[in-house]
Amino acid sequence: MRIKSALAAATVVALAAACGSGGGGESSSSSNEPVKINFLSLAWQQESVAANKQLVDEWNKANPNIQVTYVQGSWDNVNDQLVTQFAGGTAPDVIHNDSPALSGFASDGYLLDLGDKLPAELKSDIPQAAWDTVTFDGGKGEQGVYGVPFLQESQVIIANKKLLDASGVRVPTSDNPWTWDEFSEAAKKMTKSGAYGVAWPMKSPVNKTLNLALSFGGTFFQSAGGKTTVKVGPEEREVLQRIHDQLNKDKSADPGALGQGTADPLPSFYEGKFAMLPAGVFLRQQVVEQAPEGFEWVTLPAPKGTSAQQGAVSQTLSIAQDSEHPDEAMKFISFFLNSTNQVKLAKGDWLLPTSQKAAADPALTTKENGWDVATASAKNLVVAPFLKVNGFDEWRTKIATPALQEYFANKITIDEVSAKLVEDGNKVLERYQR
Amino acid sequence: MRRRVGPTKIVVQVLQYLALLAFIAFLAFPLLWLLSTALKTPRELALTDPTWIPRLPTLANFRDAFGEQDLVGAAARSLVVALFSSFITVLISLPASYAMARYRSLVNRIAIGWVLVSQVFPFILIIIPLFMILRDLDLVNTLPGLVVVHVTFTLPFALWMLQGYVRAVPPELEEAAAVDGASRLRSIVSVVAPLLAPGVVATLLFAFISSWNEFMFALVILQDPDVMTLPLTLVRFTGPEGVARLGPLAAASLMATIPSLIFFAIIQRRLKSGLMAGAVKG
Amino acid sequence: MLPALVPVLLFSVGPLLYGIGLAFTDARNTRVHETSFVGLENFVELLGAEDFWSSFKIGLIWAFSVTALQFLAALGLALLLNEKLMFSGVARVLAVVPWAMPPVVIGLMWKLVYHPDAGILNDILNTDVNWLADFSLALPAIIVVGVWTGMPQTTVVLLAGLQNVPRELHEAGEMDGAGPWRRFWNITLPQLRPVIVAITSLDFVWNINQFGLVYVLTQGGPGGQTRLPMLFAYEEAFRYRMAGYASMLGLAMAIVVLAVLGLYLWRQMREAK
Repeated sequence: MRIKSALAAATVVALAAACGSGGGGESSSSSNEPVKINFLSLAWQQESVAANKQLVDEWNKANPNIQVTYVQGSWDNVNDQLVTQFAGGTAPDVIHNDSPALSGFASDGYLLDLGDKLPAELKSDIPQAAWDTVTFDGGKGEQGVYGVPFLQESQVIIANKKLLDASGVRVPTSDNPWTWDEFSEAAKKMTKSGAYGVAWPMKSPVNKTLNLALSFGGTFFQSAGGKTTVKVGPEEREVLQRIHDQLNKDKSADPGALGQGTADPLPSFYEGKFAMLPAGVFLRQQVVEQAPEGFEWVTLPAPKGTSAQQGAVSQTLSIAQDSEHPDEAMKFISFFLNSTNQVKLAKGDWLLPTSQKAAADPALTTKENGWDVATASAKNLVVAPFLKVNGFDEWRTKIATPALQEYFANKITIDEVSAKLVEDGNKVLERYQR
Repeated sequence: MRRRVGPTKIVVQVLQYLALLAFIAFLAFPLLWLLSTALKTPRELALTDPTWIPRLPTLANFRDAFGEQDLVGAAARSLVVALFSSFITVLISLPASYAMARYRSLVNRIAIGWVLVSQVFPFILIIIPLFMILRDLDLVNTLPGLVVVHVTFTLPFALWMLQGYVRAVPPELEEAAAVDGASRLRSIVSVVAPLLAPGVVATLLFAFISSWNEFMFALVILQDPDVMTLPLTLVRFTGPEGVARLGPLAAASLMATIPSLIFFAIIQRRLKSGLMAGAVKG
Repeated sequence: MLPALVPVLLFSVGPLLYGIGLAFTDARNTRVHETSFVGLENFVELLGAEDFWSSFKIGLIWAFSVTALQFLAALGLALLLNEKLMFSGVARVLAVVPWAMPPVVIGLMWKLVYHPDAGILNDILNTDVNWLADFSLALPAIIVVGVWTGMPQTTVVLLAGLQNVPRELHEAGEMDGAGPWRRFWNITLPQLRPVIVAITSLDFVWNINQFGLVYVLTQGGPGGQTRLPMLFAYEEAFRYRMAGYASMLGLAMAIVVLAVLGLYLWRQMREAK
């Protein structure tokens, strides 16, 4: 009997859902009915999901005429979902994604150019360097702004305080970071019986390496006469060679971590098996949540080369080209990403806000959990040239990831990896320039 | 093996139990590991010497999982979709498989060819055209749309399974009934149907589990939070670069796995050996 | 029954034909591209693509080894479950655990098992191996997962077949003094043959079309060592938006699979006669 009534209830739910969504597909333009906007969010941390939902609620209460539906997506599958839904013309109105994915969708013609829709306040609050990460070729040769960047990731070094202090090396600060030489020296000093100085998790080596390579001016791509080619010259080789040396010459980097994903080495880190973990700022959240009682850690700035620059990756909100309510969607975005709200979002995801006002907020400049170092690193962020390269994704997956993995594992030489990146790489890029 | 007595028999039996144990350990240990993970704190999950039994068991993961995501609602919707899909699949494939097994004709051969071909073509290549058809029929973002897709994709295997069971029912039985004066239809209902019951149940089970677990179509078809199914809700605990909130994920996963197992256990009990006893004659 | 076929045609044959058609065009999954007919150009490109051939090779190794291991393991388990042992009811339920787990969970589950530091496998074996990142171990490691994932279906089908072997045949064999091994070889196996042929064919098809597992576990790494053909096709279609090329890849794979299967089924049928 119980099963029967459960079934009946379930059937009712199904029918109701079916009817409900049947009506939701097309929103009528009659003035009384509120405009409905779908917002695909990729928030996944507990605090961040809460902050997202709370902001949507706040908006819906204040704007009865523009009702936003919070749709939860996930980083793992968002691009498959979008490719299909874009092709079918049913994508959500407001889309959360990141700048590397954006260039593809922009040049496919699926995203709306926000250039002349951006309110002045929002535009001036976010620095030009961040806008550069979302300015792309829209597929017909024109440049457009295809998203509003709001959270940025920079690379820092998360270090075990005890091992750092014991080594006696100079502790770097945001104003005076290590040079790469000092960093390698420090890693050597921290390498003692059973413990390594550093760990490089390189399951996805490309973005990390390319972003860091900018500190020596390594851009990896060059454009001439409308044609983009791969370049691996002395500037590009610097960071590659240095990481390789830590692993294979100095033996100051934990070889076990090499094949791991970003967060995988953390358990060994807490155990003191290595002293330093170069990682994106968001990884601090994991450390705070997981580190055993009494484990002391600090956040250090990334090492500098000829400059302290590094490539920026930003999370973004975009509007679908097919959205029926682009202006309302823009209004929602400018509310969602105002400086007060960016503080909440940045805290929730442990990333850096693009809003300059938000970055000055005491909550994001406190010494606690390394926020001061993390937020200070934002000034070094510049747009990475690879973001604008058509076909970068394929180059990364097919050419660069295996080539770099083999190089770091000492299976091929620096000349061989360069040749692969350039020659095989250019063949890939050609596909996109026909 | 069975009739022989004495020490050899005991040795053989011991070996058999050991082998069975090894198989079960291999197949079922992830369930235990899920349970163990679901009861651990983030801190304990980051230890390098993992243990089966949590040192400081906690229910916080279950609380988080259920608090943050509408797991119960998603499970209810998944259940509805899976029940509808499996019953419709069986309703269609039962008469069709009977025809396939009993009559050798051109249609029959085409049907068998289609069963094979539809399994051979990878779904990732048809997902976009399929999605467009669904959109044109206004089925996107609806549970009936998902049911239609699930039925379409479980049907070939269901047909193949069922026609094997039909074939195992000797035609002589039907003929005998016909001689007794029963009409064709009646002989099917009264003679063949009872013998087919285990096959039908096995097919139901297959269709139910396929639908309950299906992810990719659900991902692109369903968009509103109030129509999302369970597998979609599970991935909400994963972030970029493969980082995941393991505790809540494991808790939610347990909840997604258990119903299929219970469903299977119930059927298994009801039918004793029957579930497997239907014939599978290729 | 005929009306029931209409949705089937619409939802399965329709997209299939559409997909096959795409293989002969330069279609892209974008909005700003004019699709035109290119004949066999995609096919020629495919034949010349080194990365396709290495993926193809990996796909064959994967599909053959998973299918074979799956079959052997499932046959062993089915034989045990067919004996009148205690707890076999519980064992039958537990044996379908992999089937009952959503694929999303399977991937993450095994990632935990294989985790180099916090994983249970290194803990049990007392080793320090990064299974999924090792150039020579990654493929074997995912093959184990593949076998694990597909075992329940194979076991269920083989068990059904076993229970259908007439008991009298065994009893007659026993009378003739045939030992268990000979009875298995001369009675059970031949009786089981049609079921074995059917399930190994289906397993082979399912395995070669597999991509969800590697997608979650390795994304095709390290260095492309686990890039199964369908992961390759998926990346072409969904990441690089080369819909035409990806369709040709799918079509070519389907033809290869049909050829392998055709040969296998034909040989089996001839031997059966």
